[in-house]
Parts: sequence; structure tokens; C-alpha cells
Amino acid sequence: MPLLTIATFLPILAGLALMALPDRSTRMAHAVSIMATGAVFLITLAIWARGITASDFAQIEEIAWIPAIGAAYRLGVDGLSLPLVLLTSLLFVLSAIYSARIGERAASYVVLILMLETASLGTFMALDGLLFYIFFEVSLVGMYFMIAGWGYEDRQRAALMFFLYTLLGSLPLLLAIIGLYLGSGTFDMRVWVEGAALGGFPAMLALIAMLITFAVKIPAFPVHTWLPAAHVQAPTAGSVILAGVMLKFGTYGLVRFAYQMTPEAFAQAGQVILAFGVVSALYGAFAALAQSDLKKMIAYTSVNHMGYVVMGVAIAALATEPRIRTIALDGATLQMVSHGLVTGALFFLVGMLQDRAHTRGIGDFGGLLGRAPWLGWAFILSAFASLGLPGLAHFPAEFQIFLATLNGMPWGLVAILAIVVTAALYLRAIASVFLGEMNDKWAEMPDLDRREKLVVLPLLVLTILVGVAPGWLIDMIHTTMTGLGN
Amino acid sequence: MEMGRDLALLAPELTLAAAAMLMIIAEMARAARLALAIGLAGLAAATFLTLPLLSADATVFGGTYRIDLISGWAKLILLPGTALSLLLVRAEIAGRPREGSVHALIVLVTLGALMLAGAGDMMVVVIGVVLTGLGSFALVAWPRDDAATEAAMKYLVFGAVTGSVMIYGLTFWFGGAGSTLFSELGQLQGQTLVTIAGLVAVIVGLGYKGSLVPFHFWAPDAYQGAPVSIAAYLSVITKAAAFFAFAQVLRDLPRDGGWPFALALIAAATMTYGYLAALVQTNLVRLIAYSSVAQSGYFLMGVVALGVTGFAIPGLLVFAAAYVAMNLGAFAIVLLAGRDLTDLEGFGRTYPWSGVAMVTFLLSLTGIPPLFGFLGKFYLLSAAVDAGFLWLAVIGILNSVLALGVYLRLVVPMYRGPRPISLPGTPAPLTLTAILIAFVATLFMGLIAQILPGL
Repeated sequence: MPLLTIATFLPILAGLALMALPDRSTRMAHAVSIMATGAVFLITLAIWARGITASDFAQIEEIAWIPAIGAAYRLGVDGLSLPLVLLTSLLFVLSAIYSARIGERAASYVVLILMLETASLGTFMALDGLLFYIFFEVSLVGMYFMIAGWGYEDRQRAALMFFLYTLLGSLPLLLAIIGLYLGSGTFDMRVWVEGAALGGFPAMLALIAMLITFAVKIPAFPVHTWLPAAHVQAPTAGSVILAGVMLKFGTYGLVRFAYQMTPEAFAQAGQVILAFGVVSALYGAFAALAQSDLKKMIAYTSVNHMGYVVMGVAIAALATEPRIRTIALDGATLQMVSHGLVTGALFFLVGMLQDRAHTRGIGDFGGLLGRAPWLGWAFILSAFASLGLPGLAHFPAEFQIFLATLNGMPWGLVAILAIVVTAALYLRAIASVFLGEMNDKWAEMPDLDRREKLVVLPLLVLTILVGVAPGWLIDMIHTTMTGLGN
Repeated sequence: MEMGRDLALLAPELTLAAAAMLMIIAEMARAARLALAIGLAGLAAATFLTLPLLSADATVFGGTYRIDLISGWAKLILLPGTALSLLLVRAEIAGRPREGSVHALIVLVTLGALMLAGAGDMMVVVIGVVLTGLGSFALVAWPRDDAATEAAMKYLVFGAVTGSVMIYGLTFWFGGAGSTLFSELGQLQGQTLVTIAGLVAVIVGLGYKGSLVPFHFWAPDAYQGAPVSIAAYLSVITKAAAFFAFAQVLRDLPRDGGWPFALALIAAATMTYGYLAALVQTNLVRLIAYSSVAQSGYFLMGVVALGVTGFAIPGLLVFAAAYVAMNLGAFAIVLLAGRDLTDLEGFGRTYPWSGVAMVTFLLSLTGIPPLFGFLGKFYLLSAAVDAGFLWLAVIGILNSVLALGVYLRLVVPMYRGPRPISLPGTPAPLTLTAILIAFVATLFMGLIAQILPGL
């Protein structure tokens, strides 16, 4: 059975079915949304159960599309994309459950979520350059309408900025794809990752184009400026999908396209890319420290965490020893998943806090732990995970990245300073929101209800599981990265 | 024998000409609906008759008219596009005086457009330019008010001057090559000055038809003065025909004297200027007029790459098909909503489905995948890169962002503001039919592109 295709298109088909239904009530819309995303989650588990192969893409599904130019419908997974596929389907089902409280134009909202899921899964599984680009761009459209339609106060401006910025960012990729195509005569990404489609100066041009695109998406300093605006204005589920899934398009593309398709050029530019990673990690941490808005603060920590991923990939290109390269890539890939789990949970929790208080200002709260212990402890756990505490999801990932950096390019270790800064900012946030004097305004604040616990608990459990026993995840990643590192 | 073969190859054109004559007779009897019916039947028959000719690669009348890939697909694009335009015209001006004349003129102008798309000889290009031009002037002047008369006057004067310049310039090619046939243009090899002189004239003449900068001034005025449906028609059919004619003329011309570079400069200027001007318009028709000027720049990217890459001609054809569908669709929405930007206020809430269609047309015009317009732009960008014009592709790409800025100016008000209490009347079913057809084509044709030329 073509499980990859079913998983990719089930959401959008469910969305179309919803549009055709006579009953488009809020209840019906959310029922369709939860059932569809739930089914997709189960299908991706089945894809996981089928497994991957060591040296190549697995579970290929291929149909001719535009044979004359060598474009085809091609899907497949490997140890880089499968973890992200699982993360995507999990975050979407949780977002669908969380969104069940949205009553305003629920049917349209659900259709957008489902369209975004199709686009996201397609982006990670596409093995055809043209197909990849299509999914990649469709996600922009979906996210634009989600922010513009269901965001907060200043949503129109934020949505416009997001759309223009990321469209401008993604168009260079189109040029790179055209270049790779003209160099190889096919859109088959399996041919491109052999690394021979382009060489020399054209390869460097293609790499620069790809780096622009993925840097905007990741987002890396200095092209991160769209992120805080988009995150702050986006509805909660939109923030979760944006941070948990769509930022991974950038890091996934960095490995799949930039690292794999133009390896020599990437190695030549490795020091520069590493520098951008280090600066992003540091800048993200310091900028987060300066925020008084919880959502903005978490958005900036994403810049920090994604900076580590960029460092990992750069080290993999610079290191000469295959063992180090593999460790770096393992860490970078695991970091993508960890960030999705932890930041996803944090954005959900801030959203829940905002639903109750209608403010996100760090200074507006105080002593909430006594009033809402579930919310409080969940936030504290996720915050500790986000600052890289051992035993939680980010630790094994960041440990491997720093280990590889130490062996490859020790100067990169200045980024460790960022961990101290993140620790400080999270402790400050915890102290002023959940500890200290209780603000009387929130004396009536209810704790998490059943639906909200259902959304947050899976992420917390996985955060601990990945932190304590990451083997089940790392083994899958390692299978592919060993090949990539050699 | 020879004559019989020629006539068989010309079956679509002859059918259309016959339909146009019958339409004029019907109009004399004041039977506008009959004229419309004849027109639609004629267009359908001509489309059908084109199908067996698609694989043909022949010329008729001593090489002056070409039955080839370009002219075949041009018919499959222009004829259905004309039929959609007739539906819009009917929806907009049904029952008004001289309605049948409009239908008949449109079919005649399309006949001229087909001549341009199949031209194999300088004289055929001239006939095509005159036939499309004369009909278009009359169409713009149809409302008989001041705005329309002024627009038609500008259009006519501009057309007369550029047409004469073109004919004058073509005499250089005739002198240099010793023939008016385009297939003999290879004789100009080495005669750079003559090549350039003739080419400048062709750029003036066809550039005016295709509204390239700096020959675009007539377009916003003419579109604004004419009824919306006629503006829609002119913005797609005569423009696409101009670029098909470019392809027919330039594919045999030696690529010396640096003319591809000069055309690339015009392409860059056209797309940039078009979008920048569109950015400040408040009149919806003028806004779309300037945006279609910008789209001409993308068309020209395919012309620049002619002869050196296999992407150029498929790119022109795919983009033309996409452009006809999405631009007609956008104009049809204007017909439904009103001519001012403020008329779009809340449109997406009043008409949810038409709102989705409009967003689709606009995103397709921007070039967002997987819509039809993306595929066309993708081919054209590939053609430019393959022909060594990477910088032109970069400018094309940067302009896509400008395009998004232009089109989001329409999308944002559509979903702003309260839902109106009562709907402003039921929209004409014909308009909705046209929107539906354009919507389906824009949405799905990009995905099933393998049925298109050379794919």
C-alpha cells in the first residue's frame, strides 16, 4: 500500500470533503480535523514500523508526471526525513485537538490546518525537486492565511511580512533547483544527492541560493526578523506548526539540499556557515533574554536552537574524520526533533496561559504555580528541557553537536555561552510567572482541563523519553547519517 | 490539389471566418443571442478541427502561413479563451444595443490573432496586426461615452504609428533577405545593421500589441475605458497572439547584433515597471492592466531564449495558456465585484467560492506552485537560465515578490470588514460559469501538464 501518498494527501482530501459537506458546523469541522490528523498519525507510525534501509531511501513511491523534463511524483523516507515526518504528524494531531476551542469560521480554519499538514509531510517526503518546491511553497500560502485570519491584534502586518519575506527567501531555491536540473537533466533528488549534478562555480552559486532560502526558513541571523512578528501574531496552533514543523523545512533543506547536493562547495563555505550558526545561537539567546513577552522570548530561543543545528551541519562538512561527521549529523537531526517537541509544548502552554489571561507579558503574572500546578509544572519541565538540562530531550542532541564541534572546530564552542544565557532567561521567566507573590488578578485562573492535558502530556512524555533513552530515535537517524558522514 | 490540401489545413481558420460572417448577418437581423450561439459553435468547431492538425508541421500558401506546434497550440489556447470572453461579454452587456456586433468583432479579432500566431511571412504579420487592431479599436469605443472614445482614440493613434513604423522597418528585412518569408531570414546572417533595423520595427509593432514597456501606455486607458469583459478579452487574446507572433518571427532570425540582450533589458524593464505601477493603483481595472503589462515581461523571457533552449517554445505556450485562464478569471471577478479596489471589501465573505477562485487566480499570477501560472513561469525561468540569462531569471524572481505585494493588496480587503447584510443581487450565471472554468484550469492544469505541448 502506498502509505506515504496516503499520509500526504489524506489531510487535504479530508479538507475538501469537509468543504463539500452540507454540515459545516464547528463541531463537524473539528471532528473531521481530529479524525484526519489522527489517522495520518497512525499511518506514519505504520511507515515507521516498515523501517528504513541503511544506504538509500526507503519505501519509494513513484509515478511519471512530466516525463519530458524528467519530473515525476516521487516520495520516499530515510533516517533524516522519517523522524521529522513522525514529529509533523504528532504535532498536527495535537494542534487539531488544541484548536477544537476555535469557533470563528472553524471550517475554513480546519481546511487550512489540513492543507498545511499535506504540504509539510510532502516537503519532508518528496524526492523530486519540483515536487519538493511545490509543497514547500504551498505551506507559505496556508500559513499566511492562518496568521491573517486567526491571529492576534497586528495580524495583517505580520502575515504580510511573513509571506513577502519567506517568498523572497524561497525563490532563490527555485533558481538552484533549475540549476541542478539543467546540470543533471532530471528532477530526481536521488540523483542530485549523489552530488554530481553541479560542480565548481555553478555549485557554489547554487549553494549560495540554497543557503539564502534555508537561512530565512531556519531562521538564522541576520534573516530571522520575520520570526518574532509572525510567532507573536499567529494563533497558538499556528505558532506550534510554524516552530515545530516549518522551521525544520530550513534545517532539513540545509542537510538534504545544501549538504548533500553540493558537498564540495559546502565544505569550502563551511567556516562561514559555522560562523552563522554560532552567531545565531548566541544572538538568539541574548535577544530572548531581552524580551518581556513570553511568546517572543520562546520565538527567539528557536533562533538559538536552530543555530546549533546549523553548527552541527557545518561541522559535519568541515570535519575530516567520518566518525565526527556522523556524530555532528546525528546531533543536528536529533536537535530538530527535540526542538519540535519542546518548543511545541512551550507554545501550547503559552497559548493556554494567554487563553486564560489575555496577556503574555512576563511581568503581568506571579505565583501561578500554586493556582495552576499542571500548567506550571508542565512549563517548568519544558523550560528545563529547552535550556538543555541532562535527562531531557535537548541534551543528547546538543551534547553530540558540541562534542563534534570540540573535535572539529573548537572555536565554535563559544556558542556554549548561549546555554548559560538560556538558563538565565528561563529561570527568570519561571520565577516571575510561576513563583513569587501571587497576583490577585489571577486568583480565579483555572488549571489545565482534560483536553489541554491531552495536548501537552504526549509532548512531555516524549521530552523525557528522548532525554533518558534516546536510543530508539538515534538508531534510526544513525542508520542514515553513517552513510552521509562517509 | 495543392489548394485542396491548403484549405484542409486551414479548416479552423475558415470555420471561424464563416462563423464571423454569419454573426454579422445575425446582428443585422438584431438577433444578438443567435450571433452569440453561432460564435460559440464556431469556436467549438474550430477548436475541434484543430485537434487532428496538432502533429502537423506544414506551411500553406507558398510558405506564408504556418501550421505548426505554435499555431496549433495557439488555437487551442485562444479559441477557448475567446469563448470564455464571449460568455463574459454576454453577462455584462446582454440586451444592450449593438451587442451582436461586439460578439462578431471579437470573433474577427481572434481570427486576426490566429493569423499572427501562424505567420510565416511579413505580410501575414501585417494583416494580423491590422485585423486585430481595427477590431480592437471598435471594441474599446463600443460604449460611446467620453472615456471610451478617448481610450479608443489613444489606442488607434498609438496603433497607427507603431503599425507604420513596423511596416517601414520590415522593408529592411525584405531588402536584406530578398524575400518576405521568415524562413529566409537566415539570409540576414552578417548583415547586422539590417537585422537590427528590421527588428526594432518588429519590437515596436508587436511590442505595442503585447504592451511591452515603453509601448504600453495605451493599455491601462483602453482597459479602463472599455467594458470590463472587453478589457478582459483584449488583455489576454491579443497579447498572447503578439508573443506567438514574436516566436514565429524571431525563431529564424540569426542571433547576432546582441538583440537577445536588448530584448532581455526590455523584459526586465517591463516586469519591474508593470508591478511598480500596479502597486499604486486604486482602480481595480488599471491595477490588473498594469499587472498584465508586467506579465508581458515574463512572456518576453521566453522570446529572449528562442532558438537556444528547448524550454522557450513550451514555456511560451504553457505560460500563455495559464495567463489566459488566470487573467480572464481575475477580470471576471472584477465584473462581479466592481471596478474599484474598495469594491472588493468583504468580497470573500459575500461570495466564499468566488473569493477562493480570486485568491487562486492572484496566487497563480504571482507564480505560486502548484498553480498553472507557476508552471508557466517555471518553464520561462528555466529557458532564461538555460539561454545564459541568469540575471534576467533573478530579476523575474525578484519581481515575483513585488507581484505578491500587488496581489495581496486585493486579497487583504476581500477578507476584511463585516459580512454585508444583504447580497448585492444574484450574479449572472454566465459570469459564474466563466469563473468556474478559469478556476478549474488554473487549479489543475499545472498538475496535469504532461498533456501540454512538447511535454
